[in-house]
Amino acid sequence: MDTETTEKIVARIKSAVEPAREVDDRDLRNTFAARLKTVAARPEVVPIEFNGRRLEVRRGGTLLGAAMKNGVRLMHVCGARTLCATCRVVVESGEDNLTQMSGAEKFSLRWHLSISPKTRLACQARVNGPVEVESVFPLCGDLPNG
Amino acid sequence: MTALDPPQTPESDLVARLRAGDEDAAHEFFDRYSARIRRFIANSLGRDADEADDILQETFISLADALPFFRGDSSLFTFACAIAHRKVLSFIRINARRARLIRAAPIAGDANPQPAGADREFRHALAELRPEYREVLLLKYVEEVGVSEIARILRLSDHAVESRLARARKALRKSMKEEYGH
Repeated sequence: MDTETTEKIVARIKSAVEPAREVDDRDLRNTFAARLKTVAARPEVVPIEFNGRRLEVRRGGTLLGAAMKNGVRLMHVCGARTLCATCRVVVESGEDNLTQMSGAEKFSLRWHLSISPKTRLACQARVNGPVEVESVFPLCGDLPNG
Repeated sequence: MTALDPPQTPESDLVARLRAGDEDAAHEFFDRYSARIRRFIANSLGRDADEADDILQETFISLADALPFFRGDSSLFTFACAIAHRKVLSFIRINARRARLIRAAPIAGDANPQPAGADREFRHALAELRPEYREVLLLKYVEEVGVSEIARILRLSDHAVESRLARARKALRKSMKEEYGH
């Protein structure tokens, strides 16, 4: 096989994989359609995922506001003033659906040695579409006692 | 698809209807793509099992949330696979120990009677590849997705995808040579 060309490998890969089989799940098909209709009918409400939990948030609101309203107790020691960076989140997907980083946010993140473009301050980032984020610090209530 | 099948809606039209929340468009999207998305998930996991169906469900729920906001800057299949890929990664993270066993399992469809000889050996070598190698080979050569679209799905650069493809092909050749002597 060490003399096989890429074309031969490709042909073997294609023949090794089963054809895609029809998904016979009417419930999923209907649930998908109904949910799509519901989400599209409310453009002012954006579905996001926060630490794996699905939330519905107001379009244009901050990630921190969304978290607090939904009982996700994200740390924000400075009171959402861009200072403490304890509300840091990692954006797993949908970073284009957040407002652009301001200079103040950028400065705060760098000050706290957080330079990845995927890291945002939840108190500053506003939501325009679906995003998946994970908090950097443990949530309040998840911290160990003592 | 045969000449007697109804013509498929152009993707741009389908995108517009999906963004508007059209239920018929949603059914059409499901009928058109669910089989391929499921195959992608199953091959990423390394087996055709209940896990693939569960992840497919989660993928479609997330798709329903995301499609009204879809900007059309990739194909629908790429968009769906990007979501499916994250769900698979999340599953693997949560089930890390179990995932080590899953990676050793046969690729999708292996519940069927095995072809003899070299074909079975090749299938086994493909199944034994690292998941990220198998994933990129299947996206490129089975799903026939372009490098840029693969990069979007896997959140890599185009260069990283090309590099991974080359390493994957090399690893497959090496595996066949070491295990089966050809």
